[in-house]
Amino acid sequence: MILEAKDLNYYYQDGEQRRYILKDTSVSFEKGKFYTILGQSGSGKTTLLSLLSALDSPHSGEVLFNEEDIKKIGYEKYRRNNVGIIFQSYNLIPTFTAVENVLVPMTITENEIPEDAKTVAYNLLDYIGIVKSKADRFVNKLSGGEQQRVAIARALATNVELILADEPTGNLDEEMEQEIIDIFKKLAHEHGKCVIVVTHSNEIALQSDQAFHLRKGALSSYE
Amino acid sequence: MNFIKRGFLGITRKKGKSLILLAVIFILGNLISGAISIQQATGNVETNIKDRLGTAATLELDHEAVEDLSEEEWLEIENIDIDLIKQIGALSYVKYFDYNTSTYLGSESIESYQGEETEDEVVMMGPSMDFKLNGINYAPVIDFEEQKGKLVDGRVFTQDEVDNGTSVAIISTKLAEKNDLNIGDTFTLENAVYTYDEETGEEDVVTSRDVVLEVIGLFEPQSIKEDIEVDSDTGMIDWMDIEYQNTVYVPNEIVASENRYHMEEYMKEDEEFAKMMEEEGDSFEYYTPMFYLNSPEDSEAFEEEVAPLLPEFYTVINATDQYDSIAGPMESMSKLAKYVLLVAVIATVLITGLVVLLFLRDRKRELGIYLSLGERRIRVVGQILIEVMVVAVIGITLSLFSGNLLAGQVSDMMMKANENQDEYYEEYIYFGDTQIDLTTEDVIDSYEVNLNSSYVLGFYGIGLLTILISTVIPLIYIVRLNPKKILM
Repeated sequence: MILEAKDLNYYYQDGEQRRYILKDTSVSFEKGKFYTILGQSGSGKTTLLSLLSALDSPHSGEVLFNEEDIKKIGYEKYRRNNVGIIFQSYNLIPTFTAVENVLVPMTITENEIPEDAKTVAYNLLDYIGIVKSKADRFVNKLSGGEQQRVAIARALATNVELILADEPTGNLDEEMEQEIIDIFKKLAHEHGKCVIVVTHSNEIALQSDQAFHLRKGALSSYE
Repeated sequence: MNFIKRGFLGITRKKGKSLILLAVIFILGNLISGAISIQQATGNVETNIKDRLGTAATLELDHEAVEDLSEEEWLEIENIDIDLIKQIGALSYVKYFDYNTSTYLGSESIESYQGEETEDEVVMMGPSMDFKLNGINYAPVIDFEEQKGKLVDGRVFTQDEVDNGTSVAIISTKLAEKNDLNIGDTFTLENAVYTYDEETGEEDVVTSRDVVLEVIGLFEPQSIKEDIEVDSDTGMIDWMDIEYQNTVYVPNEIVASENRYHMEEYMKEDEEFAKMMEEEGDSFEYYTPMFYLNSPEDSEAFEEEVAPLLPEFYTVINATDQYDSIAGPMESMSKLAKYVLLVAVIATVLITGLVVLLFLRDRKRELGIYLSLGERRIRVVGQILIEVMVVAVIGITLSLFSGNLLAGQVSDMMMKANENQDEYYEEYIYFGDTQIDLTTEDVIDSYEVNLNSSYVLGFYGIGLLTILISTVIPLIYIVRLNPKKILM
């Protein structure tokens, strides 16, 4: 078990009333598997992902990474060393080139990074499908699909075991969507990573090893 | 790609924004730089001028307090006695002190010095009393210590000579040359007592006695400008120069003794005057105290400590008090600079703060990305600070020179405008027996806007601190948010 959520509660305070987004939600994930979390808009998918990636903290409950509470690890440290996050809107730094974007987390993490980090970054981009000529372009000169590949490469740059993606294909066409999903499957099955993707697409869910459905704050297995 | 490198890339990759920030800092920097330049220059002038005015202080009647007194009340005013002068002289602020009494005597055996060019034009009216017998109690002679005069031959007094009232004198080299006097020679002055006939206006010598003095030292005046041309403005200086050349330094007791003799002989001639003097019990002795302080900055503390010790109607007069009367343009400049500095600092905080806030609003997402990647908040703040502070250092360095230049131009213009209005200040200053040849022009001349280390440090300190504050405040607002709030 690489990641486990136990009795997560997250709510918004509306006057004296609490509006629960997640209520006693528990779920666990293993290495080498590709997971999807399905749900309609406003179902709490993104909230769950932000709690699993320590971008936010739950009101109660705990998230365990390799059986250690991420609160104890430290949210910042956990994000720095243990998790790669991919966003729907890529969230790349527009004034940097693709390779510079990939280099950023390598200077932030405390994980061991090879000395020739730049070569590693180029190789990583190449593996994801971004050739060197494109790797040296500013990211806003790349297509949406290419930008999302750069974002994936950035998530992999610190050699983490856990990849969390929030609607990573939401802005891409079907062809590009499949290419990205294939990358995730490859990362899980060939490289032993745990890939968790939040999506509203049944097609993607059907390709995952296990899919969960989030409805009214409760998580159930998707058949 | 650490936060320092990211900071530098932030500057070069966003050239437009960096240039806007540079322009804002440069313009505001000029204001701050100019204001600091003027403030420092006026501060320096005050220090320089007060140094030139010296550290002298004396005790005088407070003219404002005594102007409404009746004749009887005037007569009741006490003299400053020697014990009080010595008590004040023992205060820690005092470097050395003296108390002097003087009189004017004539002579039939020696001629007075009357200047180089006007010698033939002097027309003597009435009895001549050209020689100022200047009594001293401080044996090394304070005038020499303070560079009013310089001993060029012989020696100063010994304390024994001063205490015993020995008949020895120090005279000027010009007076000595005119009368072929050398060290060890004696010369004779005449203490003549005159009567004045009110009907005829004639003065007759009633009696006189010789005052024989031995020359032990020769001095040359130092502080009076001898090389300036004689015209209506410098006439006063020449007169003072002539008087000083004819000054004869002697122990106080010599002067006191001659004054006593003069008064006693005069009382023999004028019974009415004698009766009045006996009723009043006046001692004929009056000394002018002169204290020299360790530093001009001690003036205020000295005045505060001495004031309670003084008899009624007396006050302390410091040489540095004169600064206020000649430094009109400087004061207004200093005040203006203070306000400009205050306004400039506030404006810089607000404007730079707003500009940085606008820039940060555009970059809020970027900061969120760093936070989502696990970057430490302090490094995110550090990166933005590097970006802003590097631009700020460039802007401040540029405005350091231009602001200084601007301040020089502006203050020159203001000084000239003030100079034209304030003819009143074009006067010489007289302080007790000491003449300080210092004018408003000297004050303006000594005003100099320049780059010195304290100005450079002061400007960088104020400038960078102002920009630091205006950057950190909006930054803290952003980085305290959690990444989800920024990105999702």
